[in-house]
Amino acid sequence: MKRPILIAAFTLAGAVWVVTVAAAVRSIRAFESTPGRAAAAPERWPSSSAIARQPGTWTLVMLVHPHCSCSRASVAELAAIVEKAPRNVRTYVLAYRPHEFGEAWSRSDVWTAARRIPRVQVLTDVDAREAKRFGAFTSGQTFLFDPDGNRRYSGGVTLLRGHAGLNSGRAEVIRLVNGGKGPGAHPVFGCAIVSKEAP
Amino acid sequence: MNIEPKPASVAARAEEVDTVNRQARYAKVDRAFAVLLVIQWAAGIAAALWLSPFAWAGKEKVLHVHVWLAVLGGGGIVLLPILLAIFRPGWVVTRHVIAASQMLSSALLIHLTGGRIETHFHVFGSLAFLAFYLDWTVLITATLVVAADHFLRGIYWPESVYGIANPEWWRFLEHAGWVAFCDTWLIWGCVLGRREAKAAAMRQAEVEHLTEQEQLKSAALQMALAEMTA
Repeated sequence: MKRPILIAAFTLAGAVWVVTVAAAVRSIRAFESTPGRAAAAPERWPSSSAIARQPGTWTLVMLVHPHCSCSRASVAELAAIVEKAPRNVRTYVLAYRPHEFGEAWSRSDVWTAARRIPRVQVLTDVDAREAKRFGAFTSGQTFLFDPDGNRRYSGGVTLLRGHAGLNSGRAEVIRLVNGGKGPGAHPVFGCAIVSKEAP
Repeated sequence: MNIEPKPASVAARAEEVDTVNRQARYAKVDRAFAVLLVIQWAAGIAAALWLSPFAWAGKEKVLHVHVWLAVLGGGGIVLLPILLAIFRPGWVVTRHVIAASQMLSSALLIHLTGGRIETHFHVFGSLAFLAFYLDWTVLITATLVVAADHFLRGIYWPESVYGIANPEWWRFLEHAGWVAFCDTWLIWGCVLGRREAKAAAMRQAEVEHLTEQEQLKSAALQMALAEMTA
């Protein structure tokens, strides 16, 4: 190949190289660092919920979209929380499923991972009815209610979208469920449980 | 026993043999890396499609940003080194660009797998592959890319590297220390490898010189024998 053409090709490839790396870092940072819509959570356990809260015990609820790959990290963090929480805490994972799809639709790896966590009940949330009762919009949204039914925590339990690992959300839930004072909150990272157009 | 000093021509020939062998090795490793970079690109796309094909909003799904990142970002990273490996194999710039691209590929794969600890082994495997050049300077380039990535992200986006928002100041040194540990042995291996390659080139030059001397002696003897019989 002629030298000027080679120089032009290498210059172009070099520019593409630099721009690609910069654009990749920028796009991935924007994607992973942008939290999902925060919950409009009720101060007390929603009385309309189909889940029967047991008075006198702590209740931990996580709402997930079963096909949200980022929620694998949220479920991994939930496993870490359950390990550090007292054994009598009742923990539920509510997996979204639209009514027109069969049960198999929600049986994803997120569902399987949640089922493997000891002392965790995984329930199907048809058409996100429970998500609406809890005011949750984003997969990975976690709530902690104290033995009197007061909400003590609302937020996510990962530091970024799809990144498992030590973070203040997880630490806060563990602190509160072990008798820590005050309410806690943390941004939530994940897919939207329901689409924007949904009522 | 008399040891005759090596003539300057032997040393020059050894240098020539060494240069040819070294360039052949550089070109061969460049081409191997071109293939590896394409495989890694494909592996990154496969990982993105397998692990996070879609981002969801209720029933609706769109292609996940990781898939775009794997296709476009991965493609952009490997474009320049592959072009250089094809059109300029053996050139010093080629192997340094390859070293930088290989480490960027590591960073991309780590991200596509959600920061899995196991994927971080790719960094150390890549350093070992780069040592195949027997040119320790490419290890420095690779290490600088890793260090710059950790340093800059440690300042502007620490949670993506260390998993926590406020890491201890020495966290950077801990990560860099493991890379330096690996580099130390690989650099030593490169230096030893180069010494052995130079010694082999010198042996080849000596054998060629001795063979030439023997051929000259043999020719002179045959001429003398021919004169005696005439």
